[in-house]
Order: sequence, then C-alpha cells, then structure tokens
Amino acid sequence: MSQAPTPLTSRPAGLAAARQAAGRRRWSAATQDRVFAYALVAPALLLILGLVAYPFFYAIYVSFTNRVVGNDGEWIGLGNFRYLAQSAAFSSAIWNTVILVVASDALKLSIGLGLALLVNQRFPARGLFRSFLMLPWAMPAFVAYLTWRVLYQPIGGGLNLILTGTGIYSGIIDWLGQRATAMPAVIAASVWRGFPFWFVSILAALQTIPAELYEAARIDGATAWQRFRHVTFPAIRPVLIVVTLLSSIWTANSFESVWLLTQGGPSDATMIFPVLAYYGMQTQRLGEAAAVSVAMLPVLAILVLVATALMQKDDEA
Amino acid sequence: MAEKHHWTRRRVLGTTMAGAAAAALGGKRAALAAPALQKGSKVTFWGGLIFSDKANKLLVDTVNKWGADNGIQTEAVMINQNETVQKVSAAVASNTMPDALDLSLDLLLLLSRQGQFLPLDDVYDSIGKAQGGWYAPVASSTDTSKIAGGRTGIPFGVSGNLLLRRDDLLSKAGFSKPPTTWEELAQQAAAVNKPPLFGLGLALSNVGDGNVQISVMQSYGGRIADDAGKTVTIKSDATREYLRWVKAAWDKKLFPPGNTTWDGAGDNQAYLAGQAAFIANTGSVGIAAKSQDPELYKATLYSSLPGGPKGVVSPIAPQLRAVPKSSKNPDAAKALIEHLAQPAFMNAYYEAAIYGPVLQDQAKFKAFTGGDPILAGLLDLVQKGTAPAYPDVFNAGYADMFNNFMIPKMVQRVVIDGWDLDKAMDEAQVGTQAIYDKYK
Repeated sequence: MSQAPTPLTSRPAGLAAARQAAGRRRWSAATQDRVFAYALVAPALLLILGLVAYPFFYAIYVSFTNRVVGNDGEWIGLGNFRYLAQSAAFSSAIWNTVILVVASDALKLSIGLGLALLVNQRFPARGLFRSFLMLPWAMPAFVAYLTWRVLYQPIGGGLNLILTGTGIYSGIIDWLGQRATAMPAVIAASVWRGFPFWFVSILAALQTIPAELYEAARIDGATAWQRFRHVTFPAIRPVLIVVTLLSSIWTANSFESVWLLTQGGPSDATMIFPVLAYYGMQTQRLGEAAAVSVAMLPVLAILVLVATALMQKDDEA
Repeated sequence: MAEKHHWTRRRVLGTTMAGAAAAALGGKRAALAAPALQKGSKVTFWGGLIFSDKANKLLVDTVNKWGADNGIQTEAVMINQNETVQKVSAAVASNTMPDALDLSLDLLLLLSRQGQFLPLDDVYDSIGKAQGGWYAPVASSTDTSKIAGGRTGIPFGVSGNLLLRRDDLLSKAGFSKPPTTWEELAQQAAAVNKPPLFGLGLALSNVGDGNVQISVMQSYGGRIADDAGKTVTIKSDATREYLRWVKAAWDKKLFPPGNTTWDGAGDNQAYLAGQAAFIANTGSVGIAAKSQDPELYKATLYSSLPGGPKGVVSPIAPQLRAVPKSSKNPDAAKALIEHLAQPAFMNAYYEAAIYGPVLQDQAKFKAFTGGDPILAGLLDLVQKGTAPAYPDVFNAGYADMFNNFMIPKMVQRVVIDGWDLDKAMDEAQVGTQAIYDKYK
C-alpha cells in the first residue's frame, strides 16, 4: 500500500507522525481481523436472529394483542393476561405444570442415576442392556403415549388385567378418568419416556471419572456412600445441572404426553400450559394462545438463571 | 344393489360432465350466466379429507376431470378436517390461500367477519333454484349476509348426531322403540347395564362428542346466553335439572369408565368393543361396524336424539365451500363449486361419505332412499334437526364457549370433583361470561 510522504517540518514532529502512521496501520489490521471475525459469525447470528429471536419476540408482541386468525388485531396491553388470570384452568395449569416437572424430574433422576450406576459396572451383555434401556427414548412420542393409553384402559387395559390376573384387585380402575390417578398416570408415562436421556447422560459422566480416585478412596477406607458422595457426585454434578435444566424445559413444554392421554382432564386434573395454549389455538385466538406461552417464560427463565449460576459456581470451583 | 343402478366413478364423472355440457349449451339448469373460463389458468382446491377413501378419491377425480375438460390446471389437495384450522390460519397469515376450499361453519363465520371470502350469492341462488331450494336450517345457519355483506359459503353436506342403540340387547329387555326423552334413555340404559357393557356411551370429556351435552342441557330448557347472545344464562333451574339427570346416571354407573377423558374416537371404540348400549354419533361407527363387525351392524338401530322437557335439540353442522378473496382465479373457483353441486356427483358422494343433504331435491337421491339406515337418519336429521346453537345464538362467543368445552367441564366438576350443582354452574357461568365479554 503506498503512503503519502510525511513533511519533515521538524525532527520530533516527524517521528510522532511516523508513529501515528504505524499505529494507524496496526489498528487497521486489528479492525480488519475484527471485521473478518464478524463476517464469519454473521451467518450464524442471522440464523439465530431469524429462527430464534424473531419468533420469540414476535410471540411476546402477539400476546399483547387481540389477534385472531385472519386479523392482526390491536394492542390490548395486559388484556389477555387479565383474562387468563381469571380462568380456573390457568391456575390449575400453573400448579399441574409444576407438579409434572418436579415429580417427573425427581423420578427420572432416581431411575436414570440408579441404572447408570448399575450399568457402569462390568457384567455380561452390558452393551445390549445399555441399548435396551434407550428404547423408550427412541420410540416416537405419539406411539409411546398411545401405548400407555391402551395400558391404562379401564376395560381390557394391561394394568387392570395384571391386577385382576394376579388377584391384587378385581375391580375396574379408571386410571385416566379420576382425579386421584390421572396425574400420577401421566407422570409415570412421562418418566418412562424420558429417563433414558438422564441415564445416558449420567453414564457418560460416570465414565470420565478416573478409576484411581475410587482406588485411593478405598485405600483411605471410604465406604460406598462416602465414595459416591465425595467422588462420584462432584464429578457428575455439572452434568446433572444441565440435564435437569433441559429435562425441566422439555417436560414443561411437553404437549403430547397430556394431550394423548387425557386432553387436560378429567375436569382440569392434568391441565398444563401447552395444552391450555392449544385450546387457545383451537378457538383461533392467537393472542390469547401466545399469552399462555409467554406466561410460562418467567418460570423457565428463573430455572435457566439458577442452572447457569450453579454451573458458573462449579467452573469457579 | 342392482347393477343397472350402480353409480360407478366413471359413470358419475361421465354424467356430471354431460350435465355440465348440457348446462353450457343453455339447458334449463344453467341459471348462472357462467363467465368464460380462462384456458390454461390454474385452480387450487382444498377438499375436506374424510374417513371414506372412496369419497375422497371421487372428489379429487371430479375436480381434476372438470379441470381437464375446461382446459384448467387443477390442484386438489385433501386436508384432514382436524387440521383445517391450523392450515387455513397459516395460509391466511402467509397469503397462500387456495382458490376454493371446504371448511366448517364456525371457521367460515370467523374468516367471513375478517373479510376473507368473496360473496357467492349468485352461485348460492343458482344452485338452490335448480335443486328445489335449500333446507331451512341450512339456509338460516349459513347466512353470512349480516357479517360479510353476502353469502360467503355454499353448503354441500350436513353432519350431526344420531342415537345408535343395541337393538339385540334392548329388545330382549322389552324395549322395541327408541327412547324419545333423556329420562327414557337412562331407563333403557339402566335395563341393559351389565359391566363390562354400560348403558350410556356418551362422552363427558373435552372433545366434540362431549358437546352433545349442550344439546341435552338445552332440551331441558337450559341456555348458554340470552336472546341477544351477550349475557350468559347458564345458571338456571333448567340447567340444575339437567345436571341432576347426568349425576343420577353417573351415580348408577351407566357411563363407561374413562368417558371423562375419551378422545374423539372414545365412544366409537366403546361401541365397537361392545362396551356401550347407546351412543350419540355421526354414523361413522355404523360404517366401521359394517366392515369390522357385521353382526353389530345388524344389531344397531338409529334414531334422532331424545328430547327433554323443552323438546328435541338436535343441531346440524353444515359443511361449506368458499372462495377466498385472495383467489387468483375466482371465476373458475366459483364455476368449480357450482360444478361440484351437480346431482350426479353429489348422489355418489353422499353414498360414500356420511353427510346429510342440503337441498330439497337431494332427498330424492338414491343415497337417501336406498335403505341405508345411517343416510336415512341423516336425511331425517336435516329435515327435523335444529340450527347450530339453537335455541341459543350462534355467534363468536358461542363458538368460543363450544371450543373450550364449558358444558362438559361443568359436568366434570359435578361427577369428577363432586362439586355441588350450584358451584359448578357458578364457575361455568363466570367462565363463559368472560368468554362472551371478549366479543362485546
């Protein structure tokens, strides 16, 4: 690159100008690097903006309008949220969603952790057993839940047949049709479908723990519980945080489990946010449906923040 | 069926085209001055996919044949009726609506209010004049003139609920005639109730079948709202009386277990599995029984819904065809819709699908006089049935209430949660008023 000659008015001034020019050249190179970096990132950024940010913020905007199918509607402020707050189904949805997420995650953790610890040991046909445990997760959700629906059938359903056949109970239990059993039935099906994710994630974390640590603990006289508490748990903790976060979000947003089993009933015993939003869509009131989804955001945001804080704490430690 | 009367697809298409040709030559039925169709242009048609493959194929073939004969490129896409709302919503938002489509009355009303459809009064009048006029409840319930400045939908079929009963069991119990009141229904159901067979296979869940309870409530004199369609009036002595009827039947264990969470196929499956003596159904169960269980089919008899102290409330559900304003080929779309109303095609279509007639002359079709009990029941339904929502007003609030299953939910509060009748009515009253208030 050619440069205009610097007039040598005085020696010190000439030096300063030369330094400035050199600085400009260095700054220019850094800028070029930065621009190049931005250019590389830009496609991904645009994709995220288009596919994640735009629909996200648009949904928030729609929740403040009275939009229906065929009409963009008008800004109505908190109108949709006020209507939802009055609705009995909305308060049921809050409570039921919390119960579904907490109970499902607790059970998935227990089963997933237990199986991962078991399968982490050496025994014959271990690989086959591991693959077998992944089956529920590999099965399409609608097939899984429709199968569970058949199992729960009051007449001719698998569960009642077992109870009758073994002589435990000879009456008809309406698993999905009564308040006392409907939500536990949904949770059981949801846990069955979701535990393999926990299992495989925890197993992967377990396999990164050096055997020497256990050996050293044994030499120091640590019991099995102490080895789990002081060696295993700290090692899998970061994975557990991420898995809990993801699983909670997926469960809170899961539609098919409840829809295919109970449609939110009986009464509002299993009504959760996604099903409530779907009812809003069925009535073609898009603003209202968006408001239901947006109402979930604060809870999920808190969950994400807590998980992020825990992960940062782990990193710092 | 005698061979000479058999309507093959080829014969239907041929006859339909002959009719069209006669019309084009100035026949008596060509009441509508058809505009010249632009050769080489394209028409996209979204048909309502129903359970009958034969009916679906007949519709697609007829559309394509009409296109080929008129030099118009046609694209007939069958849309699952359960997904029409989602597909149409997306198409409206993205301005990709077809040139013509099939849809339900509530979606037509909603979109007509938004000015999405062309007025089709000329097509409506032409078809009605040529075929003996429209049935009164069809004509009144589909009139969009007040909200859209004209008729935006052309009815082509009517569905609704019939009462299906197990005659083999009931006649043994001494009941040879169908129940005429809901009280009689409960009595007959109790007489044959012997688990795992239950008397009353009525859905009380949050699905379309559960909304039959609205008709039961209305036949007891209960109302959703006042005559203006604005103030909700669910809480009343008549509704209380209706709830007592449901509660009594529930306490006697006349309903099959699981009916509070049945999906749309719940009552069908219960009846086909021999677990219900009575169900209220559009007739699709009868068709399924015909092929899957001929003995059950023979043992099944059909009648109109029973009545309450205020008479029979048996609403019809019209299906319609419409032309979006965004259509690039509206003249051809209108011509196609008029073509699809031709008697030869409609007779064959009715025989394969389960729809009742919409025009007076269609009552003479072989489909309805040929001895098929389901189609005869649907003819009876359109002749004696009530307009949608009657005696209430079918407006946006009513449609929203209907889609939110407010009455089945009220019943669930009583039978599942054990709520006091007044508490359940109070909740339904407040919730439904909140829905109606959105449209004030």
